[in-house]
Amino acid sequence: MSSSAQSLSSAIRISDRGLRWRHLPAIFVAVALALVPLLFFGDYWMFVAAKLLAFGIAAMGLQILYGRAGQMSLAQGSFMGVGAYTGYILSSNGVSPGLQLLAVIAIAGVVALIVGLPTLRLSPLRLAIVTLAFGELFNWLLINTSQFTGGTQGAPVKPFVVLGLDTSYPLDAYLLTLAFAVVLTLLALNLAGTQSGRRMAAIRDTEMAAISVGVFLPKTKLIAFVLSAVFGGIGGWLYSGVTGFIAPPDFDLFASVFLLAAVVIGGSRTVIGAWLGAAFIVLLPEGFNLIGQPNLYALAGGALLAITALLLTDGLYGALARLTGMARTVLSRKGSIR
Amino acid sequence: MTDSIRAQNVTVRYGAFTALREVSLELPKGVITGVIGPNGAGKTTLLNALSGFTAVHSGTIHLEDRDITDLPAYRRARLGVIRGFQTVRLLERESVLDNVLLGTERLPQPGDISQLLALRAQWRWKKSAREEAREVLQLLGLSSESERIVDSLPFASRRLVEVARVLVSAPPLVLLDEPAAGLDQRGRLELATALARVHQQSGFTLAVVEHDIDFVTKLCTNVIAMDSGKFIMAGTPEEVFADPRVQTSYFGRSTHAQA
Repeated sequence: MSSSAQSLSSAIRISDRGLRWRHLPAIFVAVALALVPLLFFGDYWMFVAAKLLAFGIAAMGLQILYGRAGQMSLAQGSFMGVGAYTGYILSSNGVSPGLQLLAVIAIAGVVALIVGLPTLRLSPLRLAIVTLAFGELFNWLLINTSQFTGGTQGAPVKPFVVLGLDTSYPLDAYLLTLAFAVVLTLLALNLAGTQSGRRMAAIRDTEMAAISVGVFLPKTKLIAFVLSAVFGGIGGWLYSGVTGFIAPPDFDLFASVFLLAAVVIGGSRTVIGAWLGAAFIVLLPEGFNLIGQPNLYALAGGALLAITALLLTDGLYGALARLTGMARTVLSRKGSIR
Repeated sequence: MTDSIRAQNVTVRYGAFTALREVSLELPKGVITGVIGPNGAGKTTLLNALSGFTAVHSGTIHLEDRDITDLPAYRRARLGVIRGFQTVRLLERESVLDNVLLGTERLPQPGDISQLLALRAQWRWKKSAREEAREVLQLLGLSSESERIVDSLPFASRRLVEVARVLVSAPPLVLLDEPAAGLDQRGRLELATALARVHQQSGFTLAVVEHDIDFVTKLCTNVIAMDSGKFIMAGTPEEVFADPRVQTSYFGRSTHAQA
């Protein structure tokens, strides 16, 4: 327990603290960084970046459920699908994007309530199994109600036109998803500093302590699950606007597993970790494309994911935190010699 | 705020093993009670039964005049029955402050939506909750550690963090299970002093399971002795420690119990 690795990991904080005023500069830097693609990226990379943002929003939702509340879901991809298809069906009936968004939030939340309620008194593993079943059922539903969903053929999604932005242009799609990403990231970061967030962390770390202070576990678990589903729904809805085309395989078990992998690889304890993981998962295949070996991804991609997950026990975020921590120690040592 | 709690004919069984046998006792309002007895006497089971962490097989438990026998543990906590654990249970990778703030749960909080969206009520609440937490941390001598991550703290401080989490909501009834275990002599003295001071301020009812006789004598005005799942006697520390039944059951095996 008291090895040097332990003391190192202890010295560096690898979990969120909630929003504070002193985070303001960091937030400005992050937003400024997010605007960089506008200057350098062509349409294709702008499209990839927008897709990444949509995927990252869903990953943040799963981070709340898995990383913060310690509950496992294998249906985050399906909740993306709930959002995407809710938007699609409404937009085919001429409903405006604003109302679509409200409906996406409501329906994703209600579906999560229905899926989550029966599992609340069970172990986290049971939730995983029930969400797995829900995901399969949802995919079956998409395929077998083709008059609404387009079935296995998929469905073309009408571009969102909001505030002069039109998501059929990658630049506009990027700006729109970026706005959502910024707001939702702030909300997710804020969670850590609230009693809601602490209740979730208590359920993850020690249910006994949670109960002993008066936490009603099922309610907190349900809130975490609903919150994660709403993030998933919004992410999926944006994804449909960015890509302009959705099909059942976009939201199947693989999508859910990729989201889980993103959260784990990025570092499940932090919101930023979810973003790092989402970037890693989305950009990895693009990297193989860049070096002209797209087929290699299928072969080496999985291995690379596995290796990253095994080597970086606290995810990419933990690795980065440790690197900057070490750099700081080295620099301060140099300073003291002088 | 202070409440008394009363157990009547409480029996707790784990399979064939009877951990509490027809126990009737009261933790009187505003009094610090020490619960003593050799290992296996049923002290922790008593705390579990009072706080709702163990279902009772028969008998009743009353908080003031309210029958709480069938209330789940979290509801009892909300009524102000707050306990600590023998094995420290903390959010290991969160800060000391966050761990203590968790203990504010039973106080009226802004709604979840208010919290999530960081509305005004949440900002105001956050500020006052932090003040409460800082006060308790100061009392327990943890002020300088409030931003430290719990798993990087020495054991003694981790114990105190748990005590701070229990005390932060100023509960009317506190149950502590060997809070001084693993502390050195000075730490024990400081803890006893801090608990006595909080008691002086709020007048809460406190039950402390403890092996250390000095600690009990210093802190408690009332002592309950137990053995083999049975209530033996209650009285002042002098009375109880002088009683022959306690002498044989407790001191007779004290070397064994300390091991």
